[in-house]
Amino acid sequence: MTATPAFFTGDVDELFDVKNAYYIGSYQQCINEAQKVKPSSPEKETERDMFLYRAYIAQRKYAVVLDDIKGSSPPELQAVRMFAEYLSSENKRDAIVADLDKKMVKSVDAANTTFLLMAASIYYHEMNTDAALRTLHQGESLECMAMSIQVLLSLDRVDLARKELKKMQEQDEDATLTQLATAWVNIAVGGEKLQDAYYIFQEMSDKYSSTLLLLNGQAACYMAQNKWEEAEGVLQEALDKVTNRYLSQLKDAHRAHPFLKDYLAKENEFDRLSMQYAPTATA
Amino acid sequence: AAVSMGANVTPSLRLTSHRRTLSSVSGLSFHPKRPWVLASLHNGVIQLWDYRMCTLIDKFDEHDGPVRGIDFHKQQPLFVSGGDDYKIKVWNYKLRRCLFTLLGHLDYIRTTFFHHDYPWILSASDDQTIRIWNWQSRTCVCVLTGHNHYVMCAQFHPSEDLVVSASLDQTVRVWDISGLRKKNLSPGAVETEVRGISGVDLFGASDAVVKHVLEGHDRGVNWAAFHPSMPLIVSGADDRQVKIWRMNESKAWELDTCRGHYNNVSCAVFHPRQELILSNSEDKSIRVDHDRHDSGMIVFKLERERPAYAVHGNMLYYVKDRFLRQLDFNSSKDTAVMQLRSGSKFPVFSMSYNPAENAVLLCTRATNLENSTYDLYSIPKESDSQNPDAPEGKRSSGLTAVWVARNRFAVLDRMHSLLIKNLKNEIVKKVQVPSCEEIFYAGTGSLLLRDADGVTLFDVQQKRSLATVKIGKVKYVVWSADTSHVALLAKHAIMICNRKLESLCNIHENIRVKSGAWDESGVFIYTTSNHIKYALTSGDHGIIRTLDLPIYVTRVRGNSVYCLDRECRPRVLTIDPTEYRFKLALVNRKYDEVLHMVRNAKLVGQSIIAYLQKKGYPEVALHFVKDEKTRFSLALECGNIEVALEAAKALDERSCWERLGEAALLQGHHQVVEMCYQRTKNFDKLTFLYLITGNLAKLRKMMKIAEIRKDMSGHYQAALYLGDVSERVRILKNCGQKSLAYLTAATHGLDEEAEALKETFDPEKETVPEVDPNAQLLQPSPPINPLDTNWPLLTVSKGFFEGAIAAKGKAGQMAADQDMDAPGGEGWGDDAELQLDEDGFMEAQETFGEEGAVKEEGGGWDVEEDLDLPPELDIPAGGGGGAEDGFFVPPTKGMSPTQMWCNNSQLPVDHILAGSYETAMRLLHDQVGVVSFEPYKSLFMQTLSRGRTCYLGLPSLPCLRSHPQRNWKDCGAKQGLPAVGLRLSDLIARLQQCYQLTTAGRFEEAVERFRAILLSVPLLVVDNKQEIAEAQQLITICREYIVGLTMETERKKLPKDTLEEQKRLCEMAAYFTHCNLQPVHMVLVLRTALNLFFKLRNFKMAAGFARRLLELGPNPNVAQQTRKILAACEKTLTDAHQLNYDPHNPFDLCAASFVPLYRGRPVEKCPLSGACYCPTYKGQICRVTQVTEIGKDVIGLRVSPLQFR
Repeated sequence: MTATPAFFTGDVDELFDVKNAYYIGSYQQCINEAQKVKPSSPEKETERDMFLYRAYIAQRKYAVVLDDIKGSSPPELQAVRMFAEYLSSENKRDAIVADLDKKMVKSVDAANTTFLLMAASIYYHEMNTDAALRTLHQGESLECMAMSIQVLLSLDRVDLARKELKKMQEQDEDATLTQLATAWVNIAVGGEKLQDAYYIFQEMSDKYSSTLLLLNGQAACYMAQNKWEEAEGVLQEALDKVTNRYLSQLKDAHRAHPFLKDYLAKENEFDRLSMQYAPTATA
Repeated sequence: AAVSMGANVTPSLRLTSHRRTLSSVSGLSFHPKRPWVLASLHNGVIQLWDYRMCTLIDKFDEHDGPVRGIDFHKQQPLFVSGGDDYKIKVWNYKLRRCLFTLLGHLDYIRTTFFHHDYPWILSASDDQTIRIWNWQSRTCVCVLTGHNHYVMCAQFHPSEDLVVSASLDQTVRVWDISGLRKKNLSPGAVETEVRGISGVDLFGASDAVVKHVLEGHDRGVNWAAFHPSMPLIVSGADDRQVKIWRMNESKAWELDTCRGHYNNVSCAVFHPRQELILSNSEDKSIRVDHDRHDSGMIVFKLERERPAYAVHGNMLYYVKDRFLRQLDFNSSKDTAVMQLRSGSKFPVFSMSYNPAENAVLLCTRATNLENSTYDLYSIPKESDSQNPDAPEGKRSSGLTAVWVARNRFAVLDRMHSLLIKNLKNEIVKKVQVPSCEEIFYAGTGSLLLRDADGVTLFDVQQKRSLATVKIGKVKYVVWSADTSHVALLAKHAIMICNRKLESLCNIHENIRVKSGAWDESGVFIYTTSNHIKYALTSGDHGIIRTLDLPIYVTRVRGNSVYCLDRECRPRVLTIDPTEYRFKLALVNRKYDEVLHMVRNAKLVGQSIIAYLQKKGYPEVALHFVKDEKTRFSLALECGNIEVALEAAKALDERSCWERLGEAALLQGHHQVVEMCYQRTKNFDKLTFLYLITGNLAKLRKMMKIAEIRKDMSGHYQAALYLGDVSERVRILKNCGQKSLAYLTAATHGLDEEAEALKETFDPEKETVPEVDPNAQLLQPSPPINPLDTNWPLLTVSKGFFEGAIAAKGKAGQMAADQDMDAPGGEGWGDDAELQLDEDGFMEAQETFGEEGAVKEEGGGWDVEEDLDLPPELDIPAGGGGGAEDGFFVPPTKGMSPTQMWCNNSQLPVDHILAGSYETAMRLLHDQVGVVSFEPYKSLFMQTLSRGRTCYLGLPSLPCLRSHPQRNWKDCGAKQGLPAVGLRLSDLIARLQQCYQLTTAGRFEEAVERFRAILLSVPLLVVDNKQEIAEAQQLITICREYIVGLTMETERKKLPKDTLEEQKRLCEMAAYFTHCNLQPVHMVLVLRTALNLFFKLRNFKMAAGFARRLLELGPNPNVAQQTRKILAACEKTLTDAHQLNYDPHNPFDLCAASFVPLYRGRPVEKCPLSGACYCPTYKGQICRVTQVTEIGKDVIGLRVSPLQFR
């Protein structure tokens, strides 16, 4: 990750396709591109690998990541491995988090953006938003800012998310990440901004390819505008993209989806609360 | 009149036509209507050209020496020419010959013109005279003398009896010829004409008199012409000046002089419609008319005729007369949406439309490219078509401006670098691109850049080229709707590429390519100057129809081509898409479509078959061909022996059999080979065939045949194949080869035969040959198994066509089957109709309409402001994420929309959606007395799920959440209310299902459904009083049905053994008739009650039910039966038993005990459903809702914010 946008350096980012595919949720394409590209320097190679393995993580192929990244691999990749390990085994999570806490107490190499991102991701999964934001605050890359925005939005701090977004826009307004973050903030702001958010997702679909992530975003915009039929159309399109194999994977993997977690929690709450009511007389 | 100087006209000229190599052109004339131009040449030839197609139509070669004067007649198929051979010739171009020649001039003729009205020709000559001829009488009617040098030009006035002439004597003269007209064309003109012929010199002067002599040019005047409508004359002279003169009845004077040419001006004319003078000079600055210094002819277009337009979805945007107009393709509604800012003398060159922002970029191209500009306009949302707004645009310099994203556009500036600008027209980025001449749209974030010899796909964000394709001078770029394909249009070429700019095909056109559009099936439809054509991405292309005038295609849909013509009028042309659809279907191997078209469109012609054959679809063609010869060769081509055999049998030609034989042999189809050899009587080959297939019997037969045919060698050959030695000996003997016969016999041990032969030798003359002791019988060994069958072939699945054609017969049967099915369907349909009839609620639903939603909050709330300063967020000091001092304090949690929902609403559903079950339950408890929530669980959970959506942020992170709000448009940050999802109309619609279940007698299911509706009603949010009333009405309907149906279910369970029990049954049936049901159900209920009461001999009450039943208008059968029963009842109008039922005394029904609660008796009600109960049931769960407490004191149903005011 380079903090300097391409505009200033003037050079073309050789990993553009790899990164872009990753951010828009086109993980297989990201993997394909990463395997195709010939990095010009060892740093670039590490960077490429970082996206490659993160794409595998996004596909939930943790084993690939855990097997491929060795102890001798660069520290950036070690961070990726840590995240993969965290996601892959629930019972190791506490240990990983404790370990991470220790690392964070010591001074962290802020240049290792990947480490910051991975650490923040873990904290975010733990719903430790304070730690996540604190970690991200040390980084300056677009992705750090984007992640901060996501965390802030989950805290319902649209005001702060907007400030962070402004920073992103100053750095590189046209970057894919900036655009995506703009869409997230727009959805949170609502009103007229919803259409703008929709256009961002749609433009990306047009320009690259329509991925589940982008279609999901479009559907969210539609639903927020109470355009239910349109949302259904988009979601159907998304479903059509998902093969059966995928579906079963998803079902299996989504036990921990926040939506479901909430749902189950609410069911219990309902049962508990309904106990408080009873008719005065029984038949 | 403001007239611009000659030299200033130049910029608007555009070369539009090919330069053609001609002998030096001396004169030109345009056809008044057709795209024709006559060119008279220095070598005496007159050529007729179509300048649009650049083709020579005809040649007329009779003049001797240069021809300078040439003119089309305005109406007739005539033209006149005048040459250096002193001759004026009148021609008919339809008859393609010279009609006659007019002789009289004594020197070179410079110009010849027809009169626009009279049958006159005006000629100017170096003999210093101007003559007027009557081409009908073919005589000279007048000679105008006065000039004292060559007359270079003479022209009629377009409307008056005037002639203007220009001469090298430096004058321009205006002549009055009204006298001539009076004489010649008034009644009795014949006489004058006769006189005219004889007395040209005597009377000519008086017929035409000089009216004005215009002096001012310092040198010889080469040209003079009238203004088409004003009293003006323009002249051009060797003094390099163009002068404009004005005249009135009495005098003429010089008005203005245009200097600018730096050589002799040879011609100057007024533009017929615009305030322009076109002049032509030997300095070659403009070559509009004839040009003696060029060996060719160039036709110019003075102004770009191509309208600027852009298409988005069903909308066409185009510029016409300083207005931006919008055409809706579907409704054909054409409106002016805005007025453009004036100030440019150049028309709009191109347009780029941005649907997201409803903004346009209009590019205006100046002659000097560097002065080109573009305007960025935001199209007004609402506009009066009659008098549209003229919004202020943003103008900047730049060659081309194209949108690259929703809020970004690219500008190619005059330095040929690329600027990316935002909606405020501010530069965001500057991109260096190598040698770019022009930019085109290429989807979001991309551009097509044109350089000298190619087009490059360029990613603006990454600043890198993605692909390049070589094609010269692309003028227009047309993307398909899904941007999967692009057509690059150059002047004479079209290239179709895919999204990655890989060339798929190249098409060359001799005629200029004008425009194009993609049809919905992915065929590119384009126009040239005179054709509409199609191109498939495979490169196939062809003509669809011809055009009279060029058009600019905007959209193609089905067989309609939407276009703009040169006058910017939207038009729709109809085309026949069959041919290209057919080819497309072939390319895509959609053979079912192909077959359909072949069967229905009557396409089959030789051209299609030839096409199929050429394109490698002989197997397809085979099935369309009826001509046996073609069929035969196609069948051979695709190796279909069976079909070929059929065709060969029909043809029965030797050459066919031969070819078939060869083909069949290759496939080992030896039965066909045999037949072919038999047909062609090719015995040798047949014999050999039998040998190799081991068919010895037939081989022997062949031997016999050969013998009969006296084919000695064939006979012998066959014998040799068969190893039949004695036969061979016999043959040899018979043909006089005695020694060979002997040898054969001796060698193979036929001793008797050998001896006999030996004896026939004449010892004197003949020697008995020596027998080789080592000789052996050589006989081809027959195949171990004779080959009876053909060679085994791999099984090939039958092609679509074979299948389709074979299935022809079967298809008929299937159709019949379908017909058989139909009556059953109708029967089913009847049922459906019945069910439709019973909806009494449907109509009500329609009348509900959409009352204008009552706006709760004031509008005009600004999203941004509220968010910048969120005072309500209650941030602890220093906790705002301030990072200035490097110490980061994580922010506290903000207020989620769901919390606000709870604050903003007292409606239970809003609290459920917010996930606040606790408050939601309290509200339901307080409002409608819910005490048992279990049945509500699924409703709660469903509702909760509706309250939030998830979307993905960064990969591998927990997703983000959004909360759809029903007032999202104007709620702001604090006033949000959740989108409910459950609508009153949905619930009302669900009633139909319940009714159907009721009709079907599935009471328990029906009750469940009714109850589900009832329980959902408190979770509604409605906007107006009418809807509140409807919600309450819905509850009532559900209650009535639930009570009634529960009672009926209960009744059916009861025993009916004793009289008391029967009486109770009858009572309950009677009570049921007092539930408020739909008529269709009431009929059923009343019939039940009627029957029960009739059986109980309670005739009086039964009669009451019968009457009520008849009032409802049941179907005739029921009505008839009911009347019979009624008649029976009326005979003895008494009741046999006393029942707890008084039809005349109004009562409520206790929903628990099913006894009537007559008016005035104490009653307890359910707070939600309103069901009535005996007071003993107070405090229990309502039987109807199963959630509420009977007799509970509540606030009442709350389903609208209106109820809280």
